[in-house]
Amino acid sequence: MDAIRITNLVKRYGAVTAVENLSLCVRPGRIFGFLGPNGSGKSTTIGCLTGLLDPTSGTVELLGQAFDSENAAIKRRIGVMPETLGLFDPLYAQEFLAFVARMFGLDEATTRQRVTELLDALELTDSSKTLAEYSTGMRKRVAFAAAVIHSPEVLFLDEPFESIDPAGVALMKQWLRRFADQGRTVFMTTHVLETVERICHDVAIITKPGKLVWEGDVTLLANDGSLTYNGQEFRTLESLFLQLTGEKYTDLNWL
Amino acid sequence: MNFQLIGVLIRLRYKLLWAKTRTRNGKIALFFAGYLLLVMVISLVAAGGVGAGMAAIRGGKGTLIAGVLLGGIYGQAIVASVVLGFGMTAIFSETELRRFPVRALERRVTRHFIGIVDPYWLLFLALDLGIAFGLYLFGAGSFWPGLIAALLLFCSNYVAARVLGMLVDRLMMKKGGSAIMLVCIMLLGFLPATLGPVIQRNPRIQEIAFRLWQSTPPAGAAVAMTQPNLAALSGLGLILLWMAALLAVLVVLERRPAKVRVVEAGKVAWESPFDRAGAIFGTRNGPLVAFWLRFYSRHNRFRTIYPLSLPLAAFLQFFYSRQVHAAGGKFAISLSVFLILGFVGTGQFAVNQFGYVGGGFRRFLLLPTGAATAFRAGSYMFIMLSAALILPAAVLWSLFVPARFDPRAIVMLVGATISSMFFFHGIALWTSLLGPRRGNYNQSFGNDLSFAGNIVIIGGMLALLFLPQVAAKQWPNAITPDYWFVAPAAAVLAAVFYFTSLHFATAMFRGKRESLMVLLEGKS
Repeated sequence: MDAIRITNLVKRYGAVTAVENLSLCVRPGRIFGFLGPNGSGKSTTIGCLTGLLDPTSGTVELLGQAFDSENAAIKRRIGVMPETLGLFDPLYAQEFLAFVARMFGLDEATTRQRVTELLDALELTDSSKTLAEYSTGMRKRVAFAAAVIHSPEVLFLDEPFESIDPAGVALMKQWLRRFADQGRTVFMTTHVLETVERICHDVAIITKPGKLVWEGDVTLLANDGSLTYNGQEFRTLESLFLQLTGEKYTDLNWL
Repeated sequence: MNFQLIGVLIRLRYKLLWAKTRTRNGKIALFFAGYLLLVMVISLVAAGGVGAGMAAIRGGKGTLIAGVLLGGIYGQAIVASVVLGFGMTAIFSETELRRFPVRALERRVTRHFIGIVDPYWLLFLALDLGIAFGLYLFGAGSFWPGLIAALLLFCSNYVAARVLGMLVDRLMMKKGGSAIMLVCIMLLGFLPATLGPVIQRNPRIQEIAFRLWQSTPPAGAAVAMTQPNLAALSGLGLILLWMAALLAVLVVLERRPAKVRVVEAGKVAWESPFDRAGAIFGTRNGPLVAFWLRFYSRHNRFRTIYPLSLPLAAFLQFFYSRQVHAAGGKFAISLSVFLILGFVGTGQFAVNQFGYVGGGFRRFLLLPTGAATAFRAGSYMFIMLSAALILPAAVLWSLFVPARFDPRAIVMLVGATISSMFFFHGIALWTSLLGPRRGNYNQSFGNDLSFAGNIVIIGGMLALLFLPQVAAKQWPNAITPDYWFVAPAAAVLAAVFYFTSLHFATAMFRGKRESLMVLLEGKS
């Protein structure tokens, strides 16, 4: 059974196509990197996978069951750190996490224990500040804590490491590896390709508009030293990414 | 002064305004706003200008009549902007303008120039100009002094509203500011009624009051519009003096921004009164109701408006009982007050329920509940808070208002509140979906509502204020405790309307949630 199965996913906004006929499978226990240039439809895809958006057509299966935005049973088993974080600024971190925990059905004692442990581990113990007063990195940590507090089976992370300090990133990576070792799945987007090379097992690269151009096992990079595309070998994920996404270097003589 | 850059920023403001009209809602709002503006300008310019001109010529009291009219416009503009927040929204904040290579003075000029050319303020310019041209056309005034006086008066009106708005804003941010504000509003309501007879009886006070009034900008403008040469110049000088003083105060206030009040300090409790109140709604809705209570309890505007509901109701009861010889008498007024009480404390927020959650809206959609559960829970919270006002209001009314206690009257009044509470919170569900607007949570002042939201709140208040009196005129015996049974029946009907709306609006929520998310995250 795949943890995530996307079949012919299409998302359109009027005449604009954000995701075009995307099909993907993610196995359990894998950390899956979902890459693409800005505006290629990564967040839209995550939106469709997590119930934020309704696909125009195509199907999404999570944990072996068909998923749509009203499927509360599946939502209880997934954790999401959205691109815009989805925080309520006037709340304190403890209140916000306790609210999320209760909504995900955790009992009082477990809520207290997990909130305390998460706040402590992520160094969010300054209880005098509301979320509005937190720095960008601290807000990201809170959103990450909210995504994992109910110990989900599948974790969706939209650009999780940006704005977080190196110590925080190291801690999160360690958690994600252990998470995958336990047979759970991580689906993440990021632009930091070195991070993807280090922690992801599989990678998919999409181009505008949400079109899959490459999918493969990036652990080969560590084992064989290269990735292949159309018979061509690439020593780094970055070189493959640039080749696939057609990124060009334009010289501006006034810059 | 970099006028070129200022011009670019002003054009950008109008491009943004124009961009909003590309949406369907924007087009509808533009059409209605344009239509209303046109009708108001035509009717008011004609009525005000022509009326003032004719009265001035016939009565030989051009200066006084022009002064009264201009004073009325001046006061209306200030009240509508300070109380209702019209024309006070900052399009570009100081921080936003700092991104551009403009100096402090240029930023200030840009912000206020953009503010003063707001369509709302242009309406008042049209009214001032209407009076000036009216006086000129009927031979009671001169053209150029009148034109200059109208322009200066308009500018001073804008600056005065800004200054007063900032002072009110600062007051609201202080502890106890709401109470002081309430006293000010009540004084504003009571003073004319209380002082009127005293002034009429005492010519000395009349004279002092008249002299004081003569030193105001509208009186200066009236003199400039109607008197020749030196007198006109003195009128213009008076407005300029006021302008200089108001501008100085404005600059001082802007240079020393008020500190935002920290709403809650100290340690955060695991089990708070919000959670206990939310628990009434069961395990499914409870945490969300508690969330909404917590969220709005920290909202400065909500913290001001909701606690003011009962004092405001008492004020309306007292004020209108003294002022208006209404059809249906005091009981009709009580009925109006109890009707208004059903939504006055929560209405402004209920009609735009998600307006202040911003990016947090996304979180509701990620929760393992139906997409509309948060929407439903928010509405329950507003209903709960409105309902909490009914008992104290009924007790206070029983203690202070009637000559003889009549339980039927209480049933009728409570039934009226429940009716308006359910009816308006039902309407509010639709407005939250069909006319949402992204608001600023930290702003304790101003008007964050959409066109539809304003129609519901302002129109609703006015309708409820006069509905019992209109009914009493039509059916004089209906607005009496003898017809007490009508109110519970109306309450049942309103409840049916509310729950039907809840059912259909929550069904609609699913389809609307993507566009709501885009709007609330500021991406539309």
